[in-house]
Amino acid sequence: MHRRDQKARPEAGGLTRRSMIASSAGVATTVAVTAVSPAAAGAMGRAEVPARLIDTPTTPIQADTVVAYVHDAARGEVTVIQGEVERTYRDPALAKRLLAAANPSSKERR
Amino acid sequence: MSSHREAPGTSQDPVADSTDVYAFVCPDEPSKVTLICNYIPLEGPAAGPNFYEFGDDVLYSLNISNQGTAEPDITYEFQFETTILNPDTFLYNTGPISSLDDPHFNKRQFYSVTRTVGSTSTVLATGLASPPCNIGPLSTPSYATLAKTAIHRLPGGIRVFAGQRAEGFYVDLGAVFDLGDLRPFENLHAFGNLPARDGVNATAQVNVHTIAIQVPITDLTAGSPTIGVWATASRRKVEMRTNPPVETGPWVQVSRLGNPLFNEVLVPLGKKDTWNASSPANDSHYAGKVAHPELASLLNVLYPGVFPNLARYNKPRADLLAILLTGIPAGVVSPTYTTFTGTTQADMLRLNTSIPPSSSPNVLGILGGDVAGFPNGRRVIDDVFTIELRAIAGVTIPLVDSTFTPDGAAGVVTDGLTFDNYLPVFPYLGVPYSGYDVPNN
Repeated sequence: MHRRDQKARPEAGGLTRRSMIASSAGVATTVAVTAVSPAAAGAMGRAEVPARLIDTPTTPIQADTVVAYVHDAARGEVTVIQGEVERTYRDPALAKRLLAAANPSSKERR
Repeated sequence: MSSHREAPGTSQDPVADSTDVYAFVCPDEPSKVTLICNYIPLEGPAAGPNFYEFGDDVLYSLNISNQGTAEPDITYEFQFETTILNPDTFLYNTGPISSLDDPHFNKRQFYSVTRTVGSTSTVLATGLASPPCNIGPLSTPSYATLAKTAIHRLPGGIRVFAGQRAEGFYVDLGAVFDLGDLRPFENLHAFGNLPARDGVNATAQVNVHTIAIQVPITDLTAGSPTIGVWATASRRKVEMRTNPPVETGPWVQVSRLGNPLFNEVLVPLGKKDTWNASSPANDSHYAGKVAHPELASLLNVLYPGVFPNLARYNKPRADLLAILLTGIPAGVVSPTYTTFTGTTQADMLRLNTSIPPSSSPNVLGILGGDVAGFPNGRRVIDDVFTIELRAIAGVTIPLVDSTFTPDGAAGVVTDGLTFDNYLPVFPYLGVPYSGYDVPNN
């Protein structure tokens, strides 16, 4: 069963349910979602390395996939999820990099 | 309905939509309690080729509070996994299914049961088979016998069952949500011009998916014999629609159920999803809606002149606050009867396990003089719709306010239904209707 209401709805914790797309008031609307392997995440670090765009990933997503999203762009808050663990960091550099990857035509991407 | 499609979120997510919770001292084994939670509302039996099943991506939990804090002191968790023997056919079954491991049974579900006490989790069993759905005489020719083999005995005197059952909750759904119509009283309805007539059971021939566990009472209690029970369903926070799909992240509660009709009737539309995602320990936020239920006001509007005493009663409904949010203290119904779990306001089904099963149960529970029935827990036979309707109409106010005289209608108002498709033994809910037999012409 993989039906899911894609509309963002509030949950007790103030985030959204069944969707990573934050839409609640007070949260910046620009949000990036990415999935990377732990190894790749370690290698990537926080450097402002230009990302190479891949049209269609050909390898399957790994079971230990890490999901990261910009929870609040204005505050530079990024939430990282792996397994049943979720952590939110204030890391403006990481947030900026994710936002740039989400909007490759923006100034940050160039 | 009790809690079928009761909130915007769950109405879009049937496998996580808890429809009814039951908790009762077993009439055939009074040293044990049976806990039941149903999911997937209004299953039409003719549901091929992909018959109903539990969600592999849902964490189903039965929660028990035994310390008076409305926190889950004990939790039984159920997780399912679907396997397909032959993916190269579209068929659910490739021939008659005569056993749970019959090679014709192509799409199967297995589940695990985990008991958590505090921070300690113990896996009680894995790989337990669910029965197939009741398809028809060619596919499932001896369904009752087949389903019986899916009752699993676990160490410690525990029984579990997870699979399709006949819906046990009965309600005139078509009328009730047509502006609160009660067919036996529709000649009195403000907007109607129809003669009174018998109720129609809208859930008479539909199925649900049942999770039932029977455990010794001593496995659930700690000091007080009264426990609080509620069910939850949770999903992983993240789902990616990749192939195969990926689900990850912490479990996020998307559904909750304790007392029947609580979220459905007392919680306003804009808060139902939030309520489903929250804990019973936070239910004081909803106490105002219990103290001044919207439905009581509607009764006076929809049935003008029928409930004059209720219309004049403007005190907070201490009777409903006790029944639904704290339990009934000793001395209210009788010197010894109590379902009180403490002052924490929480929607839980409260079961005083020291009250023995009734030898002549009354479907109206406490309103029928049967203290073993709702709101002392809930048995599968209890007519909770009528009990709660009469309570909201004022019949229970005198328990806490001797100055109030209930209206005559409050003691007789009903949707006019009876139902008897139950089993005398675990899992107590009846054999599900087959797709071959229902619907019939």
